[in-house]
Formats: sequence, C-alpha cells, structure tokens
Amino acid sequence: MIVVKDLKRYYGSGGTAVKALNGVSFEIKKGEFLAIMGASGSGKTTLLRILALLDDATAGEYTIRGLQVSSLPEAERSYYRLTQVGYVFQDYALINEMSAAENVYVLSMMEGKSKKESYEIALEALDKVALKGKHNRIPDELSGGEKQRVAIARAIAKKPDIMFADEPCANLDTGNSKQVLDVFKELNEKHGQTIIMVTHELWHTNYVDRVITLEDGKLISDEKKGKPEDKTK
Amino acid sequence: MINDIRVGSLIAYCSVKRGNKKTLIFIIFVLSLIFMNLVFLPSMIGGMMVLFTGYMQDYPFGDVVIEPSGDNTYINDADSVLQKVRAVEGVRAATKRLDVGASIEHKQNIVGVAVTGLLPTEEYEISRYPYIISEGDFLGDLSRDEIIIGAAIAGTSPVFGEIYDDLGEVRPGSLVDVTYSNGVKKTYKVKGIMEGTFELVDLNALVHYKEIEDVYGLEGSKATSVVVRVGKQGTEEQVQDKIREAGVNEQVFTWTDKSETLIKQAMQSMGAIDVMSKFVSLIVGAALILIIIYINILNRKKEIGILKAIGITPRSIVLSYAFLSMFYVSLGILAGLVLYFSLMLYFHANPATFYETMEIRPVIDPMLLIQSIVTMLTLSVIAGILPAWSVSKESILKAIWGR
Repeated sequence: MIVVKDLKRYYGSGGTAVKALNGVSFEIKKGEFLAIMGASGSGKTTLLRILALLDDATAGEYTIRGLQVSSLPEAERSYYRLTQVGYVFQDYALINEMSAAENVYVLSMMEGKSKKESYEIALEALDKVALKGKHNRIPDELSGGEKQRVAIARAIAKKPDIMFADEPCANLDTGNSKQVLDVFKELNEKHGQTIIMVTHELWHTNYVDRVITLEDGKLISDEKKGKPEDKTK
Repeated sequence: MINDIRVGSLIAYCSVKRGNKKTLIFIIFVLSLIFMNLVFLPSMIGGMMVLFTGYMQDYPFGDVVIEPSGDNTYINDADSVLQKVRAVEGVRAATKRLDVGASIEHKQNIVGVAVTGLLPTEEYEISRYPYIISEGDFLGDLSRDEIIIGAAIAGTSPVFGEIYDDLGEVRPGSLVDVTYSNGVKKTYKVKGIMEGTFELVDLNALVHYKEIEDVYGLEGSKATSVVVRVGKQGTEEQVQDKIREAGVNEQVFTWTDKSETLIKQAMQSMGAIDVMSKFVSLIVGAALILIIIYINILNRKKEIGILKAIGITPRSIVLSYAFLSMFYVSLGILAGLVLYFSLMLYFHANPATFYETMEIRPVIDPMLLIQSIVTMLTLSVIAGILPAWSVSKESILKAIWGR
C-alpha cells in the first residue's frame, strides 16, 4: 500500500546540513498497525510528517497505492489529507474555539456533507472514543486524555485509509494512554485501518503488528509482531 | 467554493462565539472611532457650508439671482425684468440692486467697501438686511444722504473688530464721506449699523437705490442684479427655468450656482482640509484594521497550520478571516453610527460657535455615510484576506511549530 524508497530529508545545505532522514526504504501493507521507534532526533517524527504529507522529502520516492504523492501540488495534497489521511498530533492540535463536535464535523463539512449529516458523523466518532455527552465541550473543558480522544475522533470520522499518530500518548498518563491505544487497536482490528504510530514507549509495541526502528535518520531494524492479513479476514 | 464558504463561516462563527469578549469589545471600540473619524469632520464642514450658503441666500443672492448678460455692467431695463419675474409662478418676491465700489472716510480713517443701492421697503421680503440693524434704524423709502454701515467697517463689531481696518467707532448720526469708483464724493449721515456676523455683510454699506442712480447718472432703471426669492425652497431650478421661459435674456443663476463659484472657492481650503482629513483617516483606518486583524491572525498562526494539516483548504481559512474581519468592522460601524448620531444630536442642541455668533450644526450626509461604510467594509475584506492569505501560504510545519 505504501512504498518508501531511499527517502531523504535534509535541513540546511552543504557541510552543515542536518540529515534528519538519510535514505529510508520500506513498505507498509494495508491493515498494518506499525510503530516507528527510535531515540530523540532519530528522524521518526520527520518520517511521519512526510508520510502524512505535512512536509516534503529532500529526495527519494513515496507512493500510496502506486500514486507518487510526494510530488502532488499543494491543492491535491490538501484534498488527500482531507479524504485519505487521518493525523493525530502529539499535542492534540484541536481548535480551542470549537467544541469537540465542531472540531470533528468541520472536516465532513469541508467534504461537502450537510451540517446535519456532518454532526451525526461527528457524534458517532465521538461515541466511538467514549466521549458521549461531551460533544459540546470546548478543549479547555476536557482532560488531556479526552482531548486526545477528540483528536482521534477527528481523524477517524472521515474513515481514512491510513491513520498517522505522532506520539499520541506523550502527554497522557498510563491509564489514558491505554484507552487511546485500545481505540487504535479496535480501529485496526475491526475496521482494518492502516495505522502508523510514532512512539518511544516500548510497552506500546504490544499493540502493534510491526516495529521499525530509526537511528540517525536510517532504518536499523524492521520487526514483525503479527500478520495483518489475519485481522482483515 | 460553497464548501469553502460554509467552513469559513463555521470557523469565523466559532471564533466570535468563543473568542475573548474583552478583545472583541476593544476591537469594536477602536473601529467605531475609525468610522467616526471618517464621518465627523466632513459633517462639521458640511454644516459650515450650509451656514455660509444660507448667508448667501439671505444677503447677496437670494434664491435666484439675475445678472447682466455678456460683458454688460448693468441689466438695462431692470423694471421690465422685474415685471416678468414677478409674474412667474413660484416667485414670492423680487427686487433690483446696484452694487458699486467705494471708499469711506471718517476722521481720517479710510476703508474700501462695496456699496449696495437697494429699495429699502422691498428688502423686507428679500433679505435679512432690515433685520440685522444693531444700532439706529434701517433705510426707508425717503432715505437720502443716509447710509447703513456694516459693523466691521464701523468699528463696532465684536467679531471682526480685530481683523479688519475700520472707521474707528462710527455711530448712528456720524457723518462719513464716501468716494465712489467714478470719483464722485458725497457725505452721508449714518442711519444704522448692521451686524450679520458674516464678512460679506459686515464689510458692506447700504444706501438707497436712487443714491447710486444719481451718483452714476444712470437712467432707465438699471441694475447690477435682480434678486428673487421663491415661494418654496427646493424649487429654485424650476423657477430659474420659468424665468428664462418668461423671456428674461440676462444670466439667471440659482443660489447653488453662485455658491459653486463663490462659496466653494472660499471653501476650497476647507475642502482641502476635508479631503486630507478623509485621506489620512482612511490610511490610519486601513493601517489600524490591518494591524488589528494581523495581530489576531498571528495569534492564530498555529490554528491555521492545524486547519491546513487536517485538510481544510487555504481558501476556507482565508474566507474565515475575511468574514471575521467583516464582522468586526460591521459591529465597529454600528457602534460608530451610534456614537456619530449621539454627537449629531449633541451638536444640534449645542452647536459649535464660530466667531462667537456663528453657530455651526453638523450636517448628516447619507451619501457620506454610505461611502464611509462601503470604504470600511472594503478595507475589512482586504485587511482580513491579506494577512490570512500570507499566513496560509506558509508551510504547515512553520505555521504550527514555527519551523
């Protein structure tokens, strides 16, 4: 589904250039739950942002279902982010002046759905992440775990093929982290969604099928923990 | 595009609904002052225009004025013109006048003046001259060798006393020597002092029409102007046309025609101030609106990055700020209108006083208000779109994380 070939991302140029990614190649199958691990500065967040079309690679190829997405113009990338990709940020990245429901249904409205339909989709997504009854609360009225679940609801409401999560439990305690990971696991197992998650917590890998590890911008290990095709059956 | 508008509206709506109310009130207050700045001074200047043009109607020109055609100095048969004019429907009163140049001397003080020869009893229906006599009496039909002198020349004006040369306290009963432009010198007894608190009046002198006729040896009822008052204000142009149709071949002007050539010339410097003030107000207004919206947008730069990251189109984001900006400015205009009309009410009850006696009441000009509202709204759209467009063009990473 996703093919990455010799992906590079340099910051700056010449001798002082920082090589955040230095020739990373791998493939991800549909329905995989993948963790990207590595120490700070290893390039895992950079890789995730490039995969989610939030950043550009300096060199290399990146295709989703055979489409060379890295070279798409911004308008198409924007449409791709809206319709095909869900992204869960480490710091939730919710719009503070929007309620939980509004944070979610703004995307459905962007897709052209009516306000009523968008609202229903948002309620369904929020219910899925156990936020029933908290639809009208603004982010400031929610706990960290609840905010992250709103962010997940926003990402899953449009039923994207691929979901990216950048250290989604970094600001959460163990209890909330487990809740979030359970949501991901359920989405992956029940709906066959491809999930790519950056984490540095070893215990998170209990939830995933495969772990790739980066060091100094290079892929140093690729470890399979289960068979994705088993889950989609 | 429809989706962009819907999403833009939703973002703007949420921002207003849950944004900081104190900031909103402050922004609206500043915008209302910008609007006031655009409309208040022009309204005051408009009030001055009305005041001055009122003076022009009440003294030199009436509602319609007939002047000699071509290079002629006089209307040759003014009585015939008067007869035709008085027969015109809509004319309330008409009279003839003779304006000449002269100098007046009293106790070795000499002042240059315009002397108007008029028919005193007819002036009661035409002008306010008979009603502004501050000392002594107005002329009568039998007034000969008598003169009415403006307060600024007489030296009794508390308003213009320190501005113009005068005759040094001339009072009713004083004798003055008048030397006309043709060299004829004549002594007059001052019958009255007129005080109109308007330079064109208070620097003038009035004598009986017959005096000028005699001094200049005019025959056959000549006049330098025939002044007409209409029965109903606003019908000046219709009366002007009817006078022409009645066979009057002299030049026929309405008071607005004369105001355009005279008052507007006099008001040119005021007009320049008006234009400059509007221009500066617009520039300051545009800059302020831009700064307010730009600061607002900079505070929401991360939000813009997030919206882009989740797939909201830059067009929706830009539109949301245009809507937001229009909303702020609309409320600012509303608050500005309340402030403006409150000030209008105040100044109508307590007019600004000019030269101690001239009361200036601001004029509400609907066109000016419409122009200012349209200008502010246009500025608001530009002010909302420009910074939002500039931020929405930044990379997502830079907008969210500043790199």
